[in-house]
This record gives sequence, structure tokens and C-alpha cells, in this order.
Amino acid sequence: MSAGHAPAAAVERASRAATVEVRSLAHRYGSRLALEPQTFRLESGITAVTGANGSGKSTLLRIIAGLLRPSEGEVRVTVDGRDLEPGERRGSIGLATPELSFYEEMTAFENLEFAAEAHGLAAPARAAREALERVGLAQRADDRVGALSSGMRQRVRLAFASLGGPPLLLLDEPGSHLDDEGRATLERWIALVAPRTLVVLATNDEREWRLAERRIQLRGRDLGHPA
Amino acid sequence: MILRATLFLWVAATMVAAFLWAPVVPVLGPTTRVLYFHIPSAWITVLALGWSMLHSALYLRTRDLKHDDHAAAAAELGLLFCIAATVTGSLWAHAMWGSYWNWDPRETSIFFLMLIYGAYLAMRSSIDEPARRARLSAIYSCIAFVAVPFLMFVVPRIYFSLHPDPIINTRGKVDMDPRIRWMFLSMLLAFTALFFWMLSLRVRLGRFERMHEARTDDHAHEAAAMAAGGRN
Amino acid sequence: MRNDASSSAAAIWAILRKECRSEWRTRYGISAALLFSITTLTSVSFAVGRLGDRGDILAALLWIVLLFASLAALSHSFVREVEGRTLTLLRLVASPTSIAIGKLLFNLLFLGVLELVTVPLFLVLMGAPPPHWGRFIALLGLGSAALAASSTLVGALIAQTRSRGSLFAAVSLPLLLPVLAAAVAGTRAQWSDGSIAAPVEMLAAYALAVMAMSLLLYDHLWED
Repeated sequence: MSAGHAPAAAVERASRAATVEVRSLAHRYGSRLALEPQTFRLESGITAVTGANGSGKSTLLRIIAGLLRPSEGEVRVTVDGRDLEPGERRGSIGLATPELSFYEEMTAFENLEFAAEAHGLAAPARAAREALERVGLAQRADDRVGALSSGMRQRVRLAFASLGGPPLLLLDEPGSHLDDEGRATLERWIALVAPRTLVVLATNDEREWRLAERRIQLRGRDLGHPA
Repeated sequence: MILRATLFLWVAATMVAAFLWAPVVPVLGPTTRVLYFHIPSAWITVLALGWSMLHSALYLRTRDLKHDDHAAAAAELGLLFCIAATVTGSLWAHAMWGSYWNWDPRETSIFFLMLIYGAYLAMRSSIDEPARRARLSAIYSCIAFVAVPFLMFVVPRIYFSLHPDPIINTRGKVDMDPRIRWMFLSMLLAFTALFFWMLSLRVRLGRFERMHEARTDDHAHEAAAMAAGGRN
Repeated sequence: MRNDASSSAAAIWAILRKECRSEWRTRYGISAALLFSITTLTSVSFAVGRLGDRGDILAALLWIVLLFASLAALSHSFVREVEGRTLTLLRLVASPTSIAIGKLLFNLLFLGVLELVTVPLFLVLMGAPPPHWGRFIALLGLGSAALAASSTLVGALIAQTRSRGSLFAAVSLPLLLPVLAAAVAGTRAQWSDGSIAAPVEMLAAYALAVMAMSLLLYDHLWED
């Protein structure tokens, strides 16, 4: 798997340290509890967040990403010593969740190029190509997303999260739908970026959480679902 | 308790006085009485709108659902008074000029306010989740706030200039016999007090509804969770 | 570099290009909108006939047709994002303000294309007298800007509710009536050689007010 070894400054930037701090963070949809109060601090390396279905893993990731405003508690995301408001985080995170869908009528490459361009990356086309190579989708780059299988769509999600080499990666069930080769690619990629990236994996799959150095277990089950 | 009794007596007294004590405006004849109800209703419509919009903005700033309770309650009451104002105005127009609706500037304005209230309440009823409902309707309220000055002042003038009416509206300056002035003031006060009293009730009701929803939600949820736990 | 100040412009441009590309690929939105305007127009023309000397009615009919076309067409861009579940993607690459401006520009373009077909057809079918083109186009431009600004915001709101279609017209209407009034007054004035200063000022003021307020509000639109 090629990984774009030469750190092209145009499409990636030197690593910046990211930390995530969470204090009494909880979330309710209306009155329904979706995430039980959590307090922890993450500074580097790979962390797995595990828990039964409905324990709030996806909710937690969305809150950290700044997409969801939590109903209680606080979360601080710091990159390079600077606190990022929820609205500022998108430039520094790579999020891949099962709900992330792409534009069906556009190709995988076009979707990623759009994302790279909107992010303000200097060479969006190149960033998109590299991301696709990273996940082994170079051959299918010009197929419409509508025509891709679920495994390939998952790879597009991972490619999307990897765009521009963000210092914070939030991966929700990253291995879902992936075949063995896909999993191997995923593991290689995570191992490669781990030294300079804070990685948070939300998963129930043992193959994934054993990649992690530490593990946060969410209690609670069948709580609200982030519809 | 005492306040409520006072309010009741005040409203009753003003209503009786409107028919028995206050004099009739020469130009308007016996139809004057309607004005004592019509104009305060219209005033409350505008007050309620302002109250609702203010609390919408406050909600967006603080995310405290109490402000949403106020915004929603004021909107409901505002619609009520708006309908009252429109109906009384229409009846009076018929008595004075023979036609129920003329699209003159004031009628047009009150109609637009009714549209805004209707749209706001329709939006609210189509969203279930409380935080999202509060947020989206607050956003709508704020954008409607931009439209209100145009709808209330500019558009009716434009419309009126497009459709000059042969009927002359003389609802402008009315010779203010001091008794008439007192009557108006008391009615205005009575209506305003009435509005705020009803608002406080409605806000409390809204809060209870939310808490009740929460409790039934939790119960339903516990039951479901227990059932699911049983299966495992 | 990812997402610094200048990338807002990049994001807006990227979104605009993406919208145009999506629209071009599916052509669903524009065809439906064109069909709708032409149908409305044909009905009006059939029912009313030629109105060469009635500038007042012509102005009103023209703007009603355009209003209906906006109501039918301009909600789609956000509804499509919600139904295609691509809103998360959008929010992850661009700020709410950039999304708002990008979508607004697209809606303006969309409305422009619609008008390019509808307006000449209207003028011909209804036997309208030739307009004072400068003033006519200024009114069309400002009116469309105001229509697009309101409709884009309301579309974004409505896309997150349950009953999207029916609600959009009802919720938009209070916001669009000032545009209707001023645009009709102005269009009628230009046909009767009157002054369009007041309507133009009103349209411009309203469009600016709506855009300014929307920019403040878009940050609150998506929080879940």
C-alpha cells in the first residue's frame, strides 16, 4: 500500500499535537439519555471507545467533532496549544462514521476532491488521489459512488477522514463492511499515522480495539440513537 | 389570588364601562364600542409578537428552554388576539362602510401578522425533538423579525397605492373626549394584564408538558430496556 | 493548509461547483422547475389571453409565476442534502456561513436560468409591451436576490422538519410578500413610465436585511 511517503507540504502539514478533554459530558435527545456522563483526557496515540449498542459511542464522536452540541458538560479539543471551538474543529479532524454519505451522482474522486477543495487544501486533486491510493481505491476512483459496494464506500469514508493528514482522527466502526484486505489496509494506515495523530476508535469489534493502547468503556445500553 | 380577583374585577368593570359609561364618538356612532376591544387586541397582537421574538433571540443566545416556552406561549396567545382583532375589525368595517374586508393598510398589516403567527406555529408542530424545535422556530422568528417592519409599514402603503379605494378611511384622529381617553387606557391596561396572566399560565403549562413528556419517555424507555435486558 | 480564513472562499466556490455539477448530472431540479413555470405560464396565458395594455395585471401575473416557481424549486437544494444524508459531509468540510453563501449563489443561478426561459416566454405569450430593459432587469435581479435569500434560509429550516413540502410554501410566504409587493409595484411603474426608485430601494433594503440576518442565523442551523 502506498502511503505518499514524501511529506508534501502542499497536501499535508507537519503534525500538530492534539488533545481531547471531556468533563461530565453527557447528552440527551429531548428527555432520552443518549450518552452517560463521561470524563477523560486523551493526549496521544490510539484510544478505543467501546460499549454496547446504544451506549453513545457515535454520539460521543459527533460531539467531539463539533457536529453535535452536547446538552451537558464540556469538551475541549486543543490542537497545537490552541482551543478549538466546535465550529473551528473541522479543519483539524478526520471523521468517518456509518452515517457519512457521499454524493451518489459524483465519483469517489470528485467527492474527495470537493472535500479537499472546501477544506482549503492547496492541491485538492492530488490530495484526493493520494487519499484514494491510501485506502486502495485508486482503480475505482472514477466510479460513481452510487455504484460502489458497501465495503468500497467504507474505504471512501476512511479516505475522506485521512484527507490532509489531520491531527485528530475519529473513526466510528472503521472496519465495518471491510474485507480482509481492507482491514489490513486500515491497520497499516492507523499504525502509520499513530505517532503523530490522536486516534479515537469507536468500535465493538475486537480486531479493532486491540489496535488501541487504551480503552474507554461506555456503560449504558439502548440509549437514544443519533437519528 | 388577590391579583387574579383584581384582574377579574378590572376586566369586568372596563367591559361594562365600555358599553354604559364611555361616550360615543360622533363620527362613528354606536360602533365606537368595538374600538375599545379592537384596538387593544391589535396592540396585544403586536406586543405578543415582540415578546415571542425577543425570547426566540434569547433562546439562541442562552439555549435555555425557558425562553422557548415563552416564545411559544406568546405566539399562541398572539394568534388568539390577532384573530380577535381581525374579526372585530372586520365587523366594524362592515358596520361603518358596508364591506367586511378592504385590504386597506391596517387590515393588510394585521393579516400579515396572522400569516407570521400561523407559519411559526405550523413549523413548531412539525418538529418533535424539543431542542431542535426550539432552535429552528427561534431562527424562523428572527428572520420573520426582519420582514415585520416591511410588512407592517412599507407593504401596506405600496399595496394601497396600487389599489386606491373609493372608500375613504377615516380611522385616523378621533376627537379625544377625556372619557374616551380614559376608556382606552383602562382597556389597554386590562388587556395587557390579561395577556401577561394568560402567558404565565401557558408558560407553566408548557413546562409541565415538557416534564410530563420526559417522564413518559423515561418510563417507556425503561420498559423497553428491561424487555431487551430480559432477552439477553 | 486546512481551513484558514481564505478557505471560506474556497469552500463557497467548491460548493457552488458541486451544486452545479450535481444538478447537471441529475437535471432533476431544473427540469421540474422549468416544467412547472411553463405550465403555470401556459395556464395563465390560456385563461387570460393577451393583455397588451394592462401593465398592472401583467406585472402582477409575472411575479406570481416567478413566486410560484421559487416556491416549487428553491427548497430542493437542502432537502436533497438531508434525503441523501450528505449534510454531515458538508458540515465537515465547510462552515455554515460558507454553505449558506454557496447554496444562495447556486439558487440565484438557478433562478436566473429559470427566468431566462420564463420571462421572454411570458412577454411573448401575454403580448406585453416591450419593457424598459434596464429598469426591468434591475427589478428582476433585485427581486430574485430577495426571493433566493429568503427561500434558501427557509429551505434549510424546513429540510429538518417532518412535513417538508407543504410547509415550505406556508412558512416562506410571509417573507416573500414584501418582495412580491415591491416587485409588482416597480414592474408596473416601469411599464407606465413611472419612477421605480421606491420599489428598488425597498427591494434592495429587504434583500440586504434578509441576507444580513441569515448570515447571523446560519451558525445556529445545524447542531445535531
